[in-house]
Amino acid sequence: MTAIEFALRTDGVGKRYRKGWALRDCTLALPAGGVIALVGPNGAGKTTLLRLVVGLLAPSTGTVEVLGHDVTASTPQTLSRIGFLAQDHPLYKRFTVADLLRFGRACNLRFDQGLAERRLAKLGIPLDRKAGTLSGGQQAQVALALALAKRPDLLVLDEPVASLDPLARHEFLQVLMGAVAEGGVTVLFSSHVVHELERVCDHLIVLNQGRVTLTGDIDTLLTEHRLLVGPRTATELDRADAVVEAVHSDRHTTLLVRDGAIPAAPGWQAQPVSLEDLVLAYLRRPSEQGAAVTPEVTA
Amino acid sequence: MTWLIWRQHRTEVCVLGLLVGLFGIALLVLGTQAHDLFPGGPARCAGEAGANEACTSSFRRLDDEYGFVENLLAAFYLVPVVIGAFLGAPLLARELEDGTWQLAWTQAVPRMRWLAAKLAALAGVTVALTGMFTAVLTWFRQPFDAWEGRFQYDAFDLEGLVPLAYALFAFGVATAAGAFLRRSLPAFGVAFGAFLAVRMSVALLARPAYATPLTTTQPVPAGGSKDQAGPVPSFADWTIERGYADAAGRRLSSTEYYELEAAADRAGTNLNQFLHARGVQQFGVYHPADRFWTFQFIETALFVVVAAVLIGVVVWRVRRRMI
Repeated sequence: MTAIEFALRTDGVGKRYRKGWALRDCTLALPAGGVIALVGPNGAGKTTLLRLVVGLLAPSTGTVEVLGHDVTASTPQTLSRIGFLAQDHPLYKRFTVADLLRFGRACNLRFDQGLAERRLAKLGIPLDRKAGTLSGGQQAQVALALALAKRPDLLVLDEPVASLDPLARHEFLQVLMGAVAEGGVTVLFSSHVVHELERVCDHLIVLNQGRVTLTGDIDTLLTEHRLLVGPRTATELDRADAVVEAVHSDRHTTLLVRDGAIPAAPGWQAQPVSLEDLVLAYLRRPSEQGAAVTPEVTA
Repeated sequence: MTWLIWRQHRTEVCVLGLLVGLFGIALLVLGTQAHDLFPGGPARCAGEAGANEACTSSFRRLDDEYGFVENLLAAFYLVPVVIGAFLGAPLLARELEDGTWQLAWTQAVPRMRWLAAKLAALAGVTVALTGMFTAVLTWFRQPFDAWEGRFQYDAFDLEGLVPLAYALFAFGVATAAGAFLRRSLPAFGVAFGAFLAVRMSVALLARPAYATPLTTTQPVPAGGSKDQAGPVPSFADWTIERGYADAAGRRLSSTEYYELEAAADRAGTNLNQFLHARGVQQFGVYHPADRFWTFQFIETALFVVVAAVLIGVVVWRVRRRMI
């Protein structure tokens, strides 16, 4: 056992499909515990990264280590520690909910059927209904109950709420966060919606055009970054390595900088930045600047 | 896994089982009546058509009363592809089109174990259903085989071991097509097309060449009509080619034969006498009936090997996580 238990470590991971690279040079180290958000526009490579994490895909380059084990080995022990909820929460539509639970029990080493039944009963989802006849929100809940009944150490969710209406989305997140609060599970989920993340997540990964452009603890990221507002100028851009984004209006220049807390130059005002603005600024950066990734070393 | 496989594929298995059962019972009923036409069993009349009076009348009644069934049996060429492709096409394709592969392969059963269990179970059902049906059909055809032999296309392709190999081949094509196309219905279509193409080209082109055929040559008899072809090759042999050769043994083209026929007409003589006088011989190229099982084994091996290669490709793709 290492001193720091990593839920997920990737080293130089890339994935190439026939059409080209979907993911390149992805190096991450995410501590166990807490909620990690993977943010990026559509087509950024989020699904590819998550499928690599759960072992559905094999990386073209690099290694993926989940909970200290190489995930491509796909041993029953490793698989049983990872829960996965794929995009659009696929289920066997012709199975009844009870059949799905039996499927979970038959295919897992530790499957807490009682837990799943209690969760579903609380949500009022009958066990004798066919999965295909349930509403989208209920199907998502059944899929989540199946994943949670594995009692996973790492739960990976791909756009879990993207296809749900606001009410179902709220209920889903409530159940998910309830499970997190019960402890013991690290949650990694992808989203292209940025708002509300601050409330829910501890950790952030921004993925753009197949590259990780920002990763870190959300609180740390927010203290490291500041908005500097001053007279319209171009001189400040000399420190280009610290400037994430510069926006010029008629009279003012607004810089998003990552400089720790160096005092602002005279005539400049420093402001904290919101998480949403921070993410959007990194998503707007051209991808060749993607090299400015700071490896995550949170203890 | 056993429960899961049954739960996922029970519809196909039940539908196919029902069809095999219904057609099997129909064949058993008709077959019992057809067998009753041969008091000593059909085997005793093998090759006796025209020679033994009782057998000749039995064969005539068989043709009158059950000949139509024999013609319908041609449809059963498709039984192996219906069974094999119906079970093979959804094996991977349905998981891929519904996205449930992501559910199936993130449980604690490693994907290779999952795939091995599915392949073994569904290939097993394919062989079992095709085997039961073929056993009934082979029994049903016994009177017809005694009459016409079992080396012709309408018997060889339906009897013995080859239908099992055809079914495994269809299963392999459908499974592989499903892995590549990711959709069940197109995979079924591809398997159907590939089955017809491969089956036909093998039967027409490859099968006659499994062994060197024998050739018999004999002079055209002076008497009788031209249709009286003589007993060699016998009814049970598989005749590949028949024709006429000149006195030196050179085979005559059809043009040359028609010229001789026209010449006989002009001369106003009986055709056979005319040919006999010129030393024209009849030849037959054939595989003797005792090669039946050799040919069955060769063709079975051929299709099983191709099926194994296709399944190997599927296993390789799943193993490499190319799906």
